[in-house]
Amino acid sequence: MTDSEVAVRLQGVSKRFGSHNAVSDLDLVVPRGSIYGLLGPNGSGKTTTIRMIMGILHPDVGTVSLFGGKPDLARRARVGYLPEERGVYRKMRVIDLLVFLAEIRGIHRKTARDRAMGWLERLELEAWADRRVEDLSKGMQQKVQFVGTVIHEPELLILDEPFSGLDPINQDALESIVRTLSGNGITILLSTHLMDQAERLCERVCLISRSRKVLDEDLRTLRARERKGVVAVEFTGPDGWLEGPEIAAYDRVEGTLHLVLEDPDAHQAVLRSAIAAGAEILRFDLVEPRLHEIFVRHVGADAGATST
Amino acid sequence: MSLRNVWVVIRREYLQRVRSRWFAISTIGGPFFLFAMFAVPAWFASSQSEERLPLAVVDGTDALYERLADDLAVAGFPSERVRWTSAVVDTLRRRAAEGEISGFVMLDQFTLESGDAVLYVNRRPSALQRATLRSAIVRAAMEVQLEIQGVDVEAMLSGGGLDVELLVAEGAQEGEPRFLVAYIGAFLLYMVILLHAVAVMRATLEEKTSRIVEVIVSAMEPWHLMLGKVLGVGGVALTQLVVWALTGALIVWSGLPLLVTGGSPGAANAAATQELLAVMPGPGLIALFIGYFVFGFFIYSGLYAAVGAMCSTDEDAQQAQLPLVMFLVIPIVFVMQVIQNPSAPSSVGLSLFPLFSPILMWARIAGGFVPAWQIALSFALMAGAIVAIAWVAGRIYKVGILMTGKRPTIKELWRWVREA
Repeated sequence: MTDSEVAVRLQGVSKRFGSHNAVSDLDLVVPRGSIYGLLGPNGSGKTTTIRMIMGILHPDVGTVSLFGGKPDLARRARVGYLPEERGVYRKMRVIDLLVFLAEIRGIHRKTARDRAMGWLERLELEAWADRRVEDLSKGMQQKVQFVGTVIHEPELLILDEPFSGLDPINQDALESIVRTLSGNGITILLSTHLMDQAERLCERVCLISRSRKVLDEDLRTLRARERKGVVAVEFTGPDGWLEGPEIAAYDRVEGTLHLVLEDPDAHQAVLRSAIAAGAEILRFDLVEPRLHEIFVRHVGADAGATST
Repeated sequence: MSLRNVWVVIRREYLQRVRSRWFAISTIGGPFFLFAMFAVPAWFASSQSEERLPLAVVDGTDALYERLADDLAVAGFPSERVRWTSAVVDTLRRRAAEGEISGFVMLDQFTLESGDAVLYVNRRPSALQRATLRSAIVRAAMEVQLEIQGVDVEAMLSGGGLDVELLVAEGAQEGEPRFLVAYIGAFLLYMVILLHAVAVMRATLEEKTSRIVEVIVSAMEPWHLMLGKVLGVGGVALTQLVVWALTGALIVWSGLPLLVTGGSPGAANAAATQELLAVMPGPGLIALFIGYFVFGFFIYSGLYAAVGAMCSTDEDAQQAQLPLVMFLVIPIVFVMQVIQNPSAPSSVGLSLFPLFSPILMWARIAGGFVPAWQIALSFALMAGAIVAIAWVAGRIYKVGILMTGKRPTIKELWRWVREA
């Protein structure tokens, strides 16, 4: 891909904190216009990666490029960045905070005010415009912060765990706004440990575990390639065979047991061992794997990614 | 765009603070607090005057005492008439030494002609008491003269003069109004500089711990954020000082202090107001006060911003600011000495050290005479210090503001300064 098609490119990037490897030899390409998911359990290096893209941290080795160049001020001003730890000026009025955040990115005051009011209306927060930020609930503050991230109409949106702390209704609202923005041509890079969210939203995902990249693929290709290997089963009788070596992990999805197999082609062997163990099989379906299950197969269940 | 951002930060910081309740309370309350600092002692003094020892009045003219007695009581001197004899001074000196009288005032023919008198006292009278007494004597003399006629009324109208001679050896000049102005002013400088520099530190720390700084520095140079912060808080401080100076002037001009001392409007009290005004710092001194505040604030707010940026918790910051507080406390420790011996080499040296200048140089100026070149030199040295501090603190700020975890050691700080 040429530079003009790439919003963010990392090449061989490593970052250590003392003896701890936060990011190891990471290559990453975020195509323009995509919704790109940076996935992985807590502590896997997602936030460190994002902070390097934003120029807050500098890599020990490797290069980071933003819009085809160094992540300098002018380029960073074209990014909307929502950090994981949400900072606000608690004593400021909502509207003043938003205008301030727009102004430091070079937006004129009046334009900023109009846009802020537009966004607040869209998020049904217009009644709170003149209240202090600290008077708002946590969820509302988070929405205000999201507005602060997009108010200067960035080309690239970097959202670090944008959904944590939101109730399901607001998660849905945010999801649909992200989709709309993406439809307008904005590139979106989001980090999350919520696989289901990423699965619904992302076009391309990068899985990171313990500072290293595990997978980096188009979600559709990934799913097609990993089609086999996840089995939905219903059965009665003994369940000891579930602990067999062919099965990497299992968990319940909407009442049905999903088995993640070590070897995608091993379903026949699993079926045989179940029958041999004396289980009565009521259902044995190859199903399209969920992202979580793909992830588990690649890094092991102990990596601790959550599926909710 | 970048300097525009500094302005955006300044405006945010300024408006945010000026709109706060704390600002309203301290800005309006400050002058009244200061006023109370002057008024309460004055009120105590005047309410205690009843218990005072009488002042002996030796009236060589036989015409003044009757006219004076009431006014003397108002000034806080219950009086007693004593006849003139050749040994009167010695007798009264002895009585004063034995504690029977508070002192004595000599009125003679010369008093009648020019309004001058000599007051011998054990304790220095307050400016207000002196003014009241002086104008009472002048008025009494004028009345007498007008009755007799054919005398120099002009000289009396111009005010006369009251010489004071202390019977006990003069100690420190602590009672002098000039000393008070220098001392209170120095202390006020210490307080406002510390208060607002700490405000810069707190704001920096808050931005850092809330992580909003990550968003802000993704759009602007950390150094510009720091500059905007310092200028914004400084603007708030200046606004407050100007409001204080104006309301202070208003209070004095309106003659409000006299209400406290229990005087009624009249010639005596008008004179007292004049006396009080003479004691108040003039526009030049106030301008220097503001000048030393501005330079001192820049010096210390830069240092405090760096401390705020290198720390991650309030406790950390409290500890890390201790060396800075020391630099502000040292001048306060020396301020008495410097006011009393403004020309001693040690006073000159201490007051020229840029970190001490804001407090000590101002105290020297307010307390006595300082050559203009020393004032100019102190400002030049402070300006140099500001540039150096801004350079070092800006670098520490730039690295520290995005750092989390443990406070850096001196060695790490040095590396930040070199590498930033």
